[in-house]
Amino acid sequence: MAQLLNEIQWGEPLLAPDMDPAWEAELKRRGGNVSEVDRRIAPSPWIREACLGINTGRACAISAHLFNVAALVTSQENACRYCYGANRSYMKMLGYPESYIRRIEQDVHLAELDEKERALVAFCRNLARSRPRPARAELDELVRHGYTREAAHEIALWIALGCFYNRVSTLIASPPELGFEGWVVAKGRWFALMGPLNRFLAARRRRGAPDPAATAAALGAGAYGPVLAPLAGLPGATIMKGALDGAFASTVLSRGTKALMFAIVARSLDCRPSEAEARRLLAADGFSGADIEQSLASLESARVPAIEARLLPWVRDTVHFQTAQIQGRTRELAAALGNAATLEAIGVAALANATVRLAMLVE
Amino acid sequence: MNEAAAAWLLGGALLIAAACAAAWLRRARQAERLQAETRRRLEHLQREFERFAPPDLVERLTGGRGDIAPQRRQVTMLFADLRGFTALCDQLDPALTVTILNDYFTHMSEAIGRHHGHITELVGDGLLALFGALESNPWQCRDAVLAALDMRAALAAYNSQLGAKSLPQLQFGIGIHSGEVIVGVMGAGELNKFTVTGDPINVASRVEGLTRDLGVDLLITDEIRKALTAGFRLRPMPPARVKGKQEPIQTYHVESNNA
Repeated sequence: MAQLLNEIQWGEPLLAPDMDPAWEAELKRRGGNVSEVDRRIAPSPWIREACLGINTGRACAISAHLFNVAALVTSQENACRYCYGANRSYMKMLGYPESYIRRIEQDVHLAELDEKERALVAFCRNLARSRPRPARAELDELVRHGYTREAAHEIALWIALGCFYNRVSTLIASPPELGFEGWVVAKGRWFALMGPLNRFLAARRRRGAPDPAATAAALGAGAYGPVLAPLAGLPGATIMKGALDGAFASTVLSRGTKALMFAIVARSLDCRPSEAEARRLLAADGFSGADIEQSLASLESARVPAIEARLLPWVRDTVHFQTAQIQGRTRELAAALGNAATLEAIGVAALANATVRLAMLVE
Repeated sequence: MNEAAAAWLLGGALLIAAACAAAWLRRARQAERLQAETRRRLEHLQREFERFAPPDLVERLTGGRGDIAPQRRQVTMLFADLRGFTALCDQLDPALTVTILNDYFTHMSEAIGRHHGHITELVGDGLLALFGALESNPWQCRDAVLAALDMRAALAAYNSQLGAKSLPQLQFGIGIHSGEVIVGVMGAGELNKFTVTGDPINVASRVEGLTRDLGVDLLITDEIRKALTAGFRLRPMPPARVKGKQEPIQTYHVESNNA
């Protein structure tokens, strides 16, 4: 069963703060707060951009309430101490009663939520956990409970983006925002009183219009385009698209290593369309069918730089993990790879997990 | 009706309303307490249950998901058995015997869990671990061998601790085989467990038995060898006949992993 906040074992930070002043100014200009995660991911342009997009992103088909519930459940299910603590405190700041938050945190079948909310919580848990792997039918189930198809897609997209952010925070073992959490506890009564107003203002910040730039053609071009194309119009889709384009354009890790990492996550979750897309990227990079099969069967590859080959068995462990264990393994990796390559690998692993989870629903 | 009577009537009505409200509030609080207590007990039960079955399985059972129906699956089975432990039991204090055995199982379980397997059975000083039984695992053979190598290292470390306390050393034999089996919840009445059945499990058990005859601690079958890369150092053993099989079985001793 999903762990509660105080049950998550969380290690020391993997990366020291490395904030770029120009990026800090840009972050503030675009309405973001400078978080512990931001301070550590700043050296990677595409990861920091994706995380800012997630923190300030807007939804057009789902309410801010559903957005908040999905974020809380996804972070709890991913056992991300950082995100779970922050999301929990954020909900308290918006005036959600402790009893309501507890109900969501506890097993969905015991919670006294209405049927539609229960369906959302179950969907979040199943997609984030992906054990057993979810399928398109689960998306259809949301629609059966009264969500529009567009809303169901948007929920799935934000869970996938949540999985990305949760994994980045977990794998870098970002220190929790204890200052914020403590401040919310200290001002508990004030937030209970001001909750409705805060909720109204927060809902306005999250509410967005459909994005005309996010056309199926624009989203469908590039790596994993077929996964993104059905999300046309959703403002969050461009965050995912930007992350995928940025990750594959980055030169910190070889393109073959990144595509193999995606393929391994796809095979781990038994998602054939995702594996086929990774194979297409690998073939374009000069891998033969035999090379790909051998690498996927053994989690080893002579075709990628030796130092990067260590990422292949590791990325498989980022699909389902015990937090303390994966943080320990990532620490070993960082000792061999160095900070820049490790941060990049964390971003790619997080993105592969997010993309393949989304792909399972649209295949 | 005079004013005094009306005031009494109003007062009485207010009193009754207040009493009803207080009773309703008391009941609501009782119901809330009962609900919280039930929830706490169920959580406790689920966590306790996870000591007896893999957490994923518990989640599926308690979640009411209908995906644990019996099915055929490719599964890798790892049998491990302590050698000479029964004789050791006769020499040691029962409480100490149980402590040693529990510590041993804890170390082995951690090594198996690190490589995506789970223990499904403990029989005396033996254990059966499964890889790929709960969900498809394309790397199950590799996982099982890596788990066995981790178990070997964990046993060596635990033996150092036992040696420091002047306690006898433990030795084990491990047999690994893979094949298509039926997985599901099996049992009768009040005793059920999630396990596997089929010929491959017998082979795995026989291969574990061969470790004694061949004087090695870790043997795999040809099915497992085919799934391993050159990084694993294997030594072919003489083909051996086992009960229930007409043809001799080819096994390999796993010496190390240099990958």
